[in-house]
Amino acid sequence: MIEITDLTKRYGNKTAVDGLSFNVHPGRVTGFLGPNGAGKSTTMRAILGLDRPHGGSVTVNGRAYVGLPRPMREVGALLDARAVHPRRTARNHLLCIAQTNGIPAKRVDEVLQVVGLESVARKRAGGFSLGMGQRLGIAVALLGDPKVLLFDEPVNGLDPEGIKWIRELMRGLAAEGRTVLVSSHLMSEMAQTADHLVVIGKGKLIADIGISEFVRQGSNVLVRADDQERLAAELTEAGGTVLPGADGALIVTGLEARQVGKAALDAEVVLTELTPQRSLEQAYMDLTRDSVEFQASAA
Amino acid sequence: MSVAFADTVRSEWTKFRTIPSNIPTMLTAVALMVFPGALTANGASENYQAADEATRAVFDPTYISMYGGFLFAQITVGALGVLVVTHEYATGLIRTSTTVVPRRGRLLGAKVATFALIALLMGWVSSFGSFFLGQAVLGSGGAPTASLGEPGVLRAVAGMGLLWVLVGLSGVALGGLLRSTMSATTVLVAVNFIIPIIGPRLLPDAVGAWVQTYWPIQAGLQITTTVQSAEGMLPWPGFGVMAAFTAVLLIAAFALFRSRDA
Repeated sequence: MIEITDLTKRYGNKTAVDGLSFNVHPGRVTGFLGPNGAGKSTTMRAILGLDRPHGGSVTVNGRAYVGLPRPMREVGALLDARAVHPRRTARNHLLCIAQTNGIPAKRVDEVLQVVGLESVARKRAGGFSLGMGQRLGIAVALLGDPKVLLFDEPVNGLDPEGIKWIRELMRGLAAEGRTVLVSSHLMSEMAQTADHLVVIGKGKLIADIGISEFVRQGSNVLVRADDQERLAAELTEAGGTVLPGADGALIVTGLEARQVGKAALDAEVVLTELTPQRSLEQAYMDLTRDSVEFQASAA
Repeated sequence: MSVAFADTVRSEWTKFRTIPSNIPTMLTAVALMVFPGALTANGASENYQAADEATRAVFDPTYISMYGGFLFAQITVGALGVLVVTHEYATGLIRTSTTVVPRRGRLLGAKVATFALIALLMGWVSSFGSFFLGQAVLGSGGAPTASLGEPGVLRAVAGMGLLWVLVGLSGVALGGLLRSTMSATTVLVAVNFIIPIIGPRLLPDAVGAWVQTYWPIQAGLQITTTVQSAEGMLPWPGFGVMAAFTAVLLIAAFALFRSRDA
């Protein structure tokens, strides 16, 4: 269980994370989603005590990470898989890290097997492909057999087979009752991996929602009305989930366009727009459009 | 030593020995100390033959056998100390290290302890090696020689190993402060080599004389002498100046390492 309360972090005068609060629960894969620059990595670094927050608190299983006597036994993290000395072998890289937490060399050989690197264990890590490097980074996270795992953009640059492997690994870890937080900027990836979604943009929480609610047969409807509040109440009553979209629109999941229209009729509000969304990706983009930092304008 | 600290030291030793170039570099430092030391001793024995009584009276066979090699070796030792910290910044490994050892003081403390031991062992191998080789060269050249039983000689030879530790740790501290191999090594070479060796020739006489006596590495080197020169500090107070200088660098490095984002 990870608890983040009112977390704020600035770099110079730029606010990277702005009063962010959410919890990550065990037994499921929580997708941490947001456009590039939304503050995902900053949040993960704050969980691990790498960055000092300017405000708020982060606890892992009720304690501050930096206070954990054997942190690897409680939290494993993949932050940057390229962070290896290129001339150290994979096994020695893991051994250096394992020794800091009193983890025996036997465990190093075990995780090498789990991630499928046992045949290259004595090869220099500098010669590894992106996928092998990613597996080595995951081996680091698994060394302490931790109850909480953080993966920052684990599928970046991987081939389809590698992506499938990581996805199954994360689902397996969650099924064992572990807390798994995985960040991504790709909705499509999260849709196939996560049980729960935390969406942030510009350092603020946009949504904290179960994936099944968000997906609900992939039908999302964008709707505007003269009385949004009444409509939102009616839609919620009808079984939909309402999230604020760009420019004051409502993003409705769990209801089809016809049901949204019916709800508007029941609530006696005038619809000014009713647009069934094409895809999950589209819904995500609508959700985060206002918070994308760098955006190409239409020519 | 707490269990957690011992674990971190063990990890730091593994880090050091598993970078393939470190052990050869270490042996290079030893060779740089012993062989140029022998050459310097050879030159010194020739000079001794030509010298007058006053020069012969202050002839210090212990110091002469070690000093020439130390000038070269200290750069290698210091640079290895720098790399103990900066290789982690260069590769990004520092983020992993500070994640798995979130107590930053413990992490840097383990680096300091591990490298101090490495530098001490290297230093003693070098200082005793160059001392014995140097005495043989001096003796065959007809100059006086020293033996470990004579007053101050063991202190001077063992003290040379301690000086290696201080030079190495000033490298670790500079690596932690500057985080870049290039800039930390440059500062290290300037502080321990350029300023004390070339400085006195370029600076005004008064400043030059001050540098020659009180500059940390110059003061520290007094521990390796057995003949007290008029302008030099006494052995232990001189060593104390170098130790204090190293301590200040380390304290600054610890303070910054704890407060900075990794």
